Amino acid sequence: MRAFVGVAGTLLGGAVAVALAGTVLAHATTAPHQLRAQVSGTASTPQGELPHAFLELDTWPDSMAGEHGPSGGSHPDWVSYGPASSLSVPAHSLVTVTIRQYDTGGELNNDFFGTVRGTVDGTATVDGRAVTQVDPTEVGHTFTIHAIPSSQDPLFVSVPLPAVADDAPVLDNGYPAPHVITFSFITGGPGSYVWQCEYPCGDGTYANFGGPMSAQGYMEGTLTVG
Amino acid sequence: MTDTLTTAPADAPGGPPTVPAWKRAPIAPILGIFVVLCALLTPFALFVPAHLMGDAASAHMRGIESTVTAFSLASVPVAALVWAVTIYSIIGWRHRGSEPPAEEAPPLRGNTVVQVVWLVLSSVLCLFLLIWGLAVLRPTPSAASAGQPLMVEVTGQQWTWSFGYPDNGNATADRLVLPVNQPVQFRVTSKDVIHSFWIVQMGVKVDANPGETTLASVTPDRIGTFDIRCAELCGLYHAYMQTTVQVVSADQFASWVQAQPRATS
Amino acid sequence: MVDTAVAETAIGREPRRRVPRLNVLTGVVCGLILAGAGWGVSSWLLSAGDYGADRVVSITMVCWAVGFLVGVGALAGPIRWLLGRDLSVADEHVLAGKDQGVGRYFRFTTDHKVVGVQYLVLSMTLFGVGGLLAMLIRTQLIRPGARFVSPQTYNTIVGMHGIIMIIGTIIMVSGPFGNFILPIMIGARDMAFPRLNALSFWLICAAVPVLLATFFFGGIPTGWSVYAPLSDQAPAGMDCFLITIIIFAISSGIAGVNITTTAVKMRARGMTWTRTPIFVFGTVSSVALGVIAFPMFMAAMVLEGLNRTTGTVFYDAAHGGSAWLYAHLFWLMGHPEVYVILLPAFAAVLELTPVFARKPLFSFLGAVTGIAGIIGLSMFVWAHHMFISGWAPALDGPFMLTTELISIPTGLLILVLLGTLWRGTVWMRLPVMATFAMLWNFIIGGITGIYLSDVPVDQAMHGSMFVTAHFHFTLMGGALTGFAGALAYWFPKMTGRMLDERLGMIGFWIIQIGFNVTFLGMFAVGLAGQPRRVADYPSLFATGNLVSSIGAYIIGSGALIYLYAVVHSWRHGRRAPGNPWGAKTLEWQVPTPVPLENFTVLPVVTSDFYGYGEGGSAAPTPAPRRIAAPVPSGAAATTQEGGTA
Ligand SMILES: [Cu+2]
Ligand SMILES: [Cu+2]
Ligand SMILES: [Cu+2]
Repeated sequence: MRAFVGVAGTLLGGAVAVALAGTVLAHATTAPHQLRAQVSGTASTPQGELPHAFLELDTWPDSMAGEHGPSGGSHPDWVSYGPASSLSVPAHSLVTVTIRQYDTGGELNNDFFGTVRGTVDGTATVDGRAVTQVDPTEVGHTFTIHAIPSSQDPLFVSVPLPAVADDAPVLDNGYPAPHVITFSFITGGPGSYVWQCEYPCGDGTYANFGGPMSAQGYMEGTLTVG
Repeated sequence: MTDTLTTAPADAPGGPPTVPAWKRAPIAPILGIFVVLCALLTPFALFVPAHLMGDAASAHMRGIESTVTAFSLASVPVAALVWAVTIYSIIGWRHRGSEPPAEEAPPLRGNTVVQVVWLVLSSVLCLFLLIWGLAVLRPTPSAASAGQPLMVEVTGQQWTWSFGYPDNGNATADRLVLPVNQPVQFRVTSKDVIHSFWIVQMGVKVDANPGETTLASVTPDRIGTFDIRCAELCGLYHAYMQTTVQVVSADQFASWVQAQPRATS
Repeated sequence: MVDTAVAETAIGREPRRRVPRLNVLTGVVCGLILAGAGWGVSSWLLSAGDYGADRVVSITMVCWAVGFLVGVGALAGPIRWLLGRDLSVADEHVLAGKDQGVGRYFRFTTDHKVVGVQYLVLSMTLFGVGGLLAMLIRTQLIRPGARFVSPQTYNTIVGMHGIIMIIGTIIMVSGPFGNFILPIMIGARDMAFPRLNALSFWLICAAVPVLLATFFFGGIPTGWSVYAPLSDQAPAGMDCFLITIIIFAISSGIAGVNITTTAVKMRARGMTWTRTPIFVFGTVSSVALGVIAFPMFMAAMVLEGLNRTTGTVFYDAAHGGSAWLYAHLFWLMGHPEVYVILLPAFAAVLELTPVFARKPLFSFLGAVTGIAGIIGLSMFVWAHHMFISGWAPALDGPFMLTTELISIPTGLLILVLLGTLWRGTVWMRLPVMATFAMLWNFIIGGITGIYLSDVPVDQAMHGSMFVTAHFHFTLMGGALTGFAGALAYWFPKMTGRMLDERLGMIGFWIIQIGFNVTFLGMFAVGLAGQPRRVADYPSLFATGNLVSSIGAYIIGSGALIYLYAVVHSWRHGRRAPGNPWGAKTLEWQVPTPVPLENFTVLPVVTSDFYGYGEGGSAAPTPAPRRIAAPVPSGAAATTQEGGTA
């Protein structure tokens, strides 16, 4: 009997320890804010008439304008996407994304990402002008969606976001005047995907891919289709 | 205890006809367990691993699957023998109680014949494994003589794969499309950390190293869609560094590759 | 005047206690103070630039470790020696913890028995932490798409689980039993270098907080193998990790030299190599192999530390370095390290099996040859981890050969176990359960290892869950099982109490069942193509992963039951006689609890310790017999003659 109580107590203690450690570690990284695409009306696409969803994002040269709050959280100087990094869009829809790109940049390490890929017609518009690729030496960030393709519909979208010139005029909010990039893609069935930046913007780290490039909530996030 | 005393001088002259030690051992029940284990393990070895590895999409992968099956079959008697003795020792030689049993077991301090046989058998098995491995490893001459392979440049980068077709006007793509029955050579490299380029159903795996180009070749021989995964932990989204390879007819490949964006440079 | 008088009387009565007896608390305080100072100074002077954060973290961590060691009193000896007042015999007694009660376990105590118990508690603590992380890993993978923790945290958990279990398993046998049991087993009064012995333990204690600090500095994205150049990219958690490895390598070097010297130089009179128990061979070859292997990892980590704090480019191909340099250094440690873990556990099982089968070890020579063969070959197989790296495809064949050759000496060890059980009278107690479980698990681990040694098969399996399942079958199913048996076997000698047999059995077999469920599931998803170390997977692997996760929770429950049995028996268990198993090795011939100097009169050895069933006077050719050492306890003598009465 005593042994039974002891064993039960130990098992309970173990379960509590695992639950406690799990809870702490699950909240170790700041919970990313959610951003849902707004559906308004339908659009005619190569795949027929589909619901039309809209998503608006920004890319900032620091972390003080996005989901980390005005203080910038633990890394105020890291480049970041905003307003949120956890995105969700409806399935079987046309999704139109608008990104205001406030950051300077430089050369891609892989020209592959200088080409617009996976969007409707393979184009994006940069400040109202339709493009299929941008100068790979003048890129600020990219918005690249990919996934585990087996057992969910593959989705690959990659759009380069041109860099803001160093001498661009400064706006009231203290940031340079942005490039506005718009593109649309069509979602398949429900699934979980991730998105990230493929322009190596983690300055001062190996291959410039550390820091904000290797942390969710900065240059990475998730995309839920469903 | 008395048993030990009377049987210990087994070769005492003039004594009652004594039985050699191995005959007094419970050979029959152990053999029985051995046979049962073999009967259970052989079908497992024949079908389960190869079945789990799925349908191969290249001759190379079929070679790997038959290697796994062959090695599994070769290890069936080894495992069955060890487990038969283990299981019998639990059932047949056990002694229960809180006091140590008397020391009446035969004090065997080794048996040269058994040890030599064991060593020879394990060496032969080892040699079999080696020769088999080298035979499968040897590049098949047919693949080399089948004309110019299709060159594909594979670039790993945290956490996506990109592909280039230098022979097809520098077409680029985020997933792989290959013509069926055409030898392909992959030139694999990385832009940052070490990745590992793995086409699961074709048995192709080679690391993508920064600053190095590694080679791998395969001839896909089945039309379908297969998986490409990164097999070396490469950071945050390692789990998502996956894409597909679609094996299509030569005509479909030609029209697909035409439609792909070209490399900018 | 008064002072002088007091001093004189003190000398007259008993030696004045002159070595300060600090403890773990003073160590922590001193470590924190020095770490704070190091942090302050380094962030004032060095925090600028890309390497600033890494410099500050590294210096702080090193300061902590040094401060902790000073504060715990590890440097008392050298400091006194430098001051020209070397330690006296009385001081040494104080350092050995003479008459200091439980407090000596929290101090820098040189008695090998105290160090052994300290190591035991430390390794079980590490298993607790590492096991907890394993539960979190399996919780994350319980279904596809689960986002229980972020991939960032998940990668850190995987790496920390790996390194904590690696450190825990490296020390689990040669630490507790190599320190507590081995010197008594060879008839010595202590280890060759008692102060180094304590130092090796406290170095690991200094390293553990540094390792755990990894969590608070961004973690590590690399797994415990910390492949470069991914490690160059990692956040400051990597600095904590590599300093941990450097400290641990120093500790294992010290421990290895100490145990090796002890076994080579301090065996009792008459204990020739053929009369030395097999456990001594297993432990010494393991730690000696560690002395060769770990400096490789340490060197790799020093170079990595330079990369991170000063901007060198040892592993950076873009600037003339090579990532393969790291892989070589790592695997030159990594493969021998497998045997560093496995051999002492295997040797412990070889040691206890004759006791419970009541038979001599079958082919002592075979066992020694097997161990020597494994040690010799283990240094020439490392590149089998690089078959698909593209480094040198032409060398695939030779490395495939050396790897497959290892199955021959390993098979020899299996034969020794089987031969020892053969026609025995197997006394079904908890320790010998490890023999059976190991024979089951290790065969699976060995066979799957043969697949991986084959280059073409490795092209399909490398980097998949199959590899993870394989090495868990060898390191957990083999080595950790051996540890569970060794713990049950030597528990009465170390704690003076019997381990609760019923609870121990229940816990042990629940662990074994859960273990097989977990890793057979993992083999399945590995064969089907699931990469290892992934935070998420496609739903086609869902069933296998669910099975694995359920199995993992079963292991967790079994481990907790076993833990409860150990802790409860340690405090309330039945008092153990001096030699509860009727074993013949020397550690069972001394009384329990073992006196400070182990033997009042050092024993003389005239035969080996496996003469079960050979001792009777009726034997036609008198088997070599050991003259019983004049030991205080009478428990041994009776069981020695017992067999053939
Ligand atoms: Cu970016
Ligand atoms: Cu990768
Ligand atoms: Cu290895």
